[in-house]
Amino acid sequence: MIQIRQVSLWYRDGRKVVDNVSAEIRRGQTVVICGPSGSGKSSLLRCINGLERFQEGEILVDGISVSSPSTDLHALRAEIGMVFQHFELYPHMTVLDNITLAPRKVRKKTRQEAETKAMELLNRVGIPDKAAVYPGELSGGQQQRVAIARSLAMEPKAMLFDEPTSALDPEMIKEVLDVMVDLARSGMTMVVVSHEMGFAREVADEVIFMDAGRFIEKKATASFFASAENPRTREFLSRILT
Amino acid sequence: MDWNVIARNLGFMAGGLVLTFQLAALAIGGGLLLGILLGLCRVSSVSWIYYPSTAYVHFFRSQPLILVIFWFYFLVPILVGRPLGAFPSTVVAFICFEAAYFAEIVRGGLQSVSRGQTMAAYACGLRYSQVQLHVVIPQALRNMVPALTTQAVVIFQDTSLAYVIGLREFLRRVNLVDTREVRSVELYCFAGLVYLVLCSMGSILARRLEQRRGAAPA
Repeated sequence: MIQIRQVSLWYRDGRKVVDNVSAEIRRGQTVVICGPSGSGKSSLLRCINGLERFQEGEILVDGISVSSPSTDLHALRAEIGMVFQHFELYPHMTVLDNITLAPRKVRKKTRQEAETKAMELLNRVGIPDKAAVYPGELSGGQQQRVAIARSLAMEPKAMLFDEPTSALDPEMIKEVLDVMVDLARSGMTMVVVSHEMGFAREVADEVIFMDAGRFIEKKATASFFASAENPRTREFLSRILT
Repeated sequence: MDWNVIARNLGFMAGGLVLTFQLAALAIGGGLLLGILLGLCRVSSVSWIYYPSTAYVHFFRSQPLILVIFWFYFLVPILVGRPLGAFPSTVVAFICFEAAYFAEIVRGGLQSVSRGQTMAAYACGLRYSQVQLHVVIPQALRNMVPALTTQAVVIFQDTSLAYVIGLREFLRRVNLVDTREVRSVELYCFAGLVYLVLCSMGSILARRLEQRRGAAPA
């Protein structure tokens, strides 16, 4: 589904943020990427849907190259949902309009169709009563669930999560993770940048530890937690698991 | 003190307000339109769009308005080959001048919308024009309202400068009455009061607009 082949990314100031990484995420799989901040996790995630341009290597989504000049990036992005650390709901629109904007403008659905689907999704993420409300009136956890619903409204083939619970108060993390666990179990292909090791243990097929732009450890979930080899991974795990 | 001088000449002076309002409305409307265009150019990453618009803004912001009014009045007829008349040339001068200030407000407004918002919009598959139209510009406009209304009030006051080329707007008419009646204290107090009342009304209107816009919380 998503193939990452020897991808490297430099920022304009010459810093190398992603350093020759490769991975394959098969359909229906969930992969969790963890690592210290500034290790290039989020940048790599943005490379997958072309929000960030990488200089070397190749990323294929469903066989289509992200960096090829002949690729219609807009069409490609419509197939990949993305959830952000700070939710990024549109503050000037109601929850319902937030969810229906892209389906109406990109998928050319009628308002009626889009709203029916949106209500279905709000039900799924557990806040059907908030459709007419503006994002600013919602808690962080509710906003993030709306953001997930907004992505799902495009009926994506895969979903990218960029630290979806890092900006949340502890008591709200669970409500968002529950939605994500459901999503993973329903067979969605997911790439999740997160430090929620509980979530990783529960649903991830593979866990990657990233540091200084490189994949330091990349293992099936069970063996990642049982027998991480690299001392840096072990140190990182011991710090966040206590 | 002879405050009757105001009552005696009220009709004549009030007539000048018509011209003041016309000039202000055209300057604000035209300046804003041209300003939005220039503002969009100012955030462009295309160099042949960015540099000329930047030069324009820099140029007009480093000239006194009164000089710009003179220029258009004396220079443009030479270029065009025929006199334009005081009113049209002043309108054009105001639009060109104020557009430079509006452009900077618009630029600030566009840049106030966070990169995360545009990323989220692009991530859904929206195109540049859709991202601007549905996500960036509505938020930018809301952030710009205070600065835009302040600028509009300033323009309203600046219209008095049109007297330098003999346009009989409000202040010029007060001035004419004074040369006839020699009642400077009364007349200029009155003029000050009129500007105070009108600009206060403008500010109140602006605050209303801001609150209404603020109803949708950020």
